[in-house]
Amino acid sequence: MEALVIEQTKSTPAIYFDPVVNLLSIKGQSYPENSFKFYEPVFAWLDEYLGQVEQQVTARINFHMPYINTSSSKCLMMLLEKLENAHQNGKQVSVLWYYDPENETALECAEDFKEDLTLPFDLKPMEEAKQ
Amino acid sequence: MQTNLLELQKTLQNFGVLISFSGRFSQEIIEELGDAVKKYLETESISQTETYNVFSIFIEQTQNIKNYCGRKAASPNLDRIANSGIVTIGKSTHGHYVSAGNLIEVADTQKFTAQLDIVAAMDKMALKQYYKQQLKADIPPGSNGAGLGLIDMARKASRPLEYSIQKIDQAVCFFTLKAYV
Repeated sequence: MEALVIEQTKSTPAIYFDPVVNLLSIKGQSYPENSFKFYEPVFAWLDEYLGQVEQQVTARINFHMPYINTSSSKCLMMLLEKLENAHQNGKQVSVLWYYDPENETALECAEDFKEDLTLPFDLKPMEEAKQ
Repeated sequence: MQTNLLELQKTLQNFGVLISFSGRFSQEIIEELGDAVKKYLETESISQTETYNVFSIFIEQTQNIKNYCGRKAASPNLDRIANSGIVTIGKSTHGHYVSAGNLIEVADTQKFTAQLDIVAAMDKMALKQYYKQQLKADIPPGSNGAGLGLIDMARKASRPLEYSIQKIDQAVCFFTLKAYV
């Protein structure tokens, strides 16, 4: 399976999903013109990856997203639900979510995602808040 | 012409408007204005949370208007609607605000007000529950938005959202939404 690489733009995050080292990274602001269209290939890649990843392997997913609009939030919730399903089916997935400690809203947003999920989900303050 | 422009500027100043755009919204315009809003707010002595909330409400309001135009692609009123967008970011005694407006079809007004009234009746705790419920709900087919924008704005606003609907003619009304941060 090949890596998924999508370059960052002003309104879409950089996507780097590497199936060799089992690291999935989403980094940057997300407020595309059409969020569902942007995240569609991400979902497709993730479905295939989670279908084939072996049980003893831990897949790490890092989110580093300074701003997320509501339609992107919807897509990220769908993405997290895929990870949650994999976790419930015995796969090892672990989420690391970076947030800006100076921004209360960003922390609330991360907590909205984390609540109700049972997979390992760590919230980590960024040392330097880079927008 | 110069005099008129001066009058327009005075009117904007009287309303406390700092940044405004009137015309057809595109993704590029939304991104550029969004940057301008953020840069402007960084020069003000306000918290990062407040800057983020203003930016965030600005994006939701302008993308809502753009998405509404998208849904009206087949309407005979499309051109009027697409050219009717306006967004302002300003400062008042209640703090910063984002206010945006556009023409909507008369037939849609009830749907707009029903949704706004649901959100207006909720406190922050209820809004959070409603937001999370909608976050997990299935998306209506063909929808470009997530149905979350209004709830999200209400959560980020420091006062209840204000709106008005002004009848223009048989086909359209002018809808205005204002959120204080």
